[in-house]
Amino acid sequence: MSTSDKSPVMPREAAPTPSVKRRRSVKPEQQALTLAPVMQPGPPPLEIDAIRRLWLCIHLPALPLEALGSADEAKAVFEECKGIRRTLLANAKARSAGIRPGISINAALALVPTLLLEERNQHRETETLKKLAGWAEKFTSFVCIEAPSLLLLEIAGSLKLFGGVKALRQHIVAGLDSQGFHAAVAIAPTPLAATWLARAGRKVCILDARNLRGKLAPLSIACLYWPDSVEASLKGMGVSCIGEALRLPRQGFARRFGAARLLELDRALGRLPDPRVNYRAPERFAADCDLQEEQSDSELLLNVCEELLTRLENFLLVRQMAVQHLLFRFFHLQSPATHLALGCVQADRATQHWFDLLKIKFERLSLPAPVIAIQLRAGRTQYCSAETETLPFNQRAKPQNNLSIAHLAERLSARIGDESVHGIAMVAEHRPQYAWRRQDVCNDVPHCASMPDYRLQHGSPGLLEEIRRNNSLMLQRPLWVLEEPRLLATENGLPVCDGILKLIDGPERLETGWWDDDGIARDYFVAQNPKGVHLWVYRDRKEKGGRWFLHGMFG
Amino acid sequence: MLANPRIWQGQAGEQSLPGLASGYPKLDRQLPGGGWPQNALTEILLEHYGSGELKLLMPALAHLSRPRDDATEAGWITWVAPPFAPYPPALEQWGVNLSRVLIVRPKKPSETLWAAEQALSSGNCAAVLLWPQALDDAASRRLQLAAEKGQSWGIAFRSLKARSQPSAAALRIRLSAGGTDLGILKSRGGRPAIVRDYAD
Repeated sequence: MSTSDKSPVMPREAAPTPSVKRRRSVKPEQQALTLAPVMQPGPPPLEIDAIRRLWLCIHLPALPLEALGSADEAKAVFEECKGIRRTLLANAKARSAGIRPGISINAALALVPTLLLEERNQHRETETLKKLAGWAEKFTSFVCIEAPSLLLLEIAGSLKLFGGVKALRQHIVAGLDSQGFHAAVAIAPTPLAATWLARAGRKVCILDARNLRGKLAPLSIACLYWPDSVEASLKGMGVSCIGEALRLPRQGFARRFGAARLLELDRALGRLPDPRVNYRAPERFAADCDLQEEQSDSELLLNVCEELLTRLENFLLVRQMAVQHLLFRFFHLQSPATHLALGCVQADRATQHWFDLLKIKFERLSLPAPVIAIQLRAGRTQYCSAETETLPFNQRAKPQNNLSIAHLAERLSARIGDESVHGIAMVAEHRPQYAWRRQDVCNDVPHCASMPDYRLQHGSPGLLEEIRRNNSLMLQRPLWVLEEPRLLATENGLPVCDGILKLIDGPERLETGWWDDDGIARDYFVAQNPKGVHLWVYRDRKEKGGRWFLHGMFG
Repeated sequence: MLANPRIWQGQAGEQSLPGLASGYPKLDRQLPGGGWPQNALTEILLEHYGSGELKLLMPALAHLSRPRDDATEAGWITWVAPPFAPYPPALEQWGVNLSRVLIVRPKKPSETLWAAEQALSSGNCAAVLLWPQALDDAASRRLQLAAEKGQSWGIAFRSLKARSQPSAAALRIRLSAGGTDLGILKSRGGRPAIVRDYAD
């Protein structure tokens, strides 16, 4: 990551119009260039000190084609213009067959009957640019998207880290190439100059703002993307390149073509500041993948999902983030989309981990129809720090941490349901049914009745024995309880459960909880049935006669 | 003569792990290794739930759920498909570390075995208790292998009717109705025995 600040470049001068600039150039060469009357304000001086930035412009001339994915066969993109569909771009194979941009699609099909034709999709182009901007964030913290096919990277702060302009440029070009994008890359001290150079396809690298004028002068004015009328009238004046345009009188130029055009020229040359807005990638990850045709093969769908998860991991990795919830959506042509939600106990970003969870859930998912597109949306991101590996010379065994049991709990709950996997904890409460609660695994909140626990953890092993001996003094509690006490039949006033019960201990009277609506009045007994099983039963004292209930087993 | 390496000694080949002390000396004496077999599956056959099957295991589970020394952390104890709710106050009385208890309640019988296998082979659980509806020979072998892989201790609670079924478990114990007597039906490296009043 570069160390340059994240804020957009702020203008140092207040008003960007040339008329407000008052400092006059006294340099002889600039006086000669401006051929202006004495009363007219000259161009603002070049402020070398103000330009410490270096802009790298990535121009993607074939973006409309590349955004639609690569194809081995001849392929072309068309656009409808005034009712005529004309090809906009064609891939190498189509070009070699003679398909040129601008010919109608009928002519193209006549040339290559098997030609794949797709309509231009500007939404896809924007998405692709955003994706690339996200990727480019690994080279610098300042990336801006210039519609329709440009990315501007401020690289002055990244040069040292990436080993100079040349290495960084190679890095970026190779990265784009591996993603299937053909790009023209130019580097200049001002964003506009870099843009124009990239559009012209000049693979130059200008480091000094003083050289800008000379390098920009031969560029055709077509690179400026000015309106056709402006371009035509410039051509009519015999102005065909930027150098010639710069030679025109400033006031006249501003009057004829608008102050904005003059401002653009001044900005490109570094005479005026050119603030840009930094692209901010969304904090949440969302990606989708269109399948070429409907698919129902689960293996193939899982592969696509894995690819999406890998993109998610890359997204999270550069941000040092992790997510806890994911939502997959499988779109069908006819029926509404199928949703598949994944969640884990601890925020994670590892592809493998998410993929394992997905596989378990996907097995049990029944898709109503073949899938045409898959979308992945991530929940809120959380900061996540990587753990340190145990050093090899550190002989201490790697501790079983909560994280790994969390993974187990996730795998289990992914298949059998979230509420079916839980931990337990004590609650300081006299009513037996409220003396415990379920809790999430990995929840490190200490439970209430942890006094003996504390002693056990910090005391000597002898303490364990002591507490076990004291067990007999404690209240008798069964290891098994029934979630709902079971009503027992009675015989001669004694409860029956596989035979008449013998009460061997008790009663333990519990009469509490009158303050909420669930108060109890019970006499608990330890009972033994004829088979020798020890049971925990109680008589409800709230009613007359006192019915007997089975509440637990000593197990 | 025994020092002669050419003389094969039947016992020496078996490289058995020391057992995990059950907390009941009478029982430990009958078990090879002096306790519950480690990294293996144990089967406990009983007539009905609540006849002292948890009491039999509690000292060992309490030991596992606590940090033993600096090197070993407290182990997790997973309960798969328990027939009733394990009651935390009683577990705590027995000394079980409640923060190391994981309860899994699968909805289908097939999920019980799957969950148990996952837990056993994950290597995170010191002990896995399971209450399967049915456990055939192949399934018990799978669980036994999972326990070996994850270095865990699997305990399957089964009905006494399963007594005649073959099983791959390293130890099979029959518990009497009152929970006072034990019958060791099968013990890898040991021999069948009957232990009366094991808790005394």
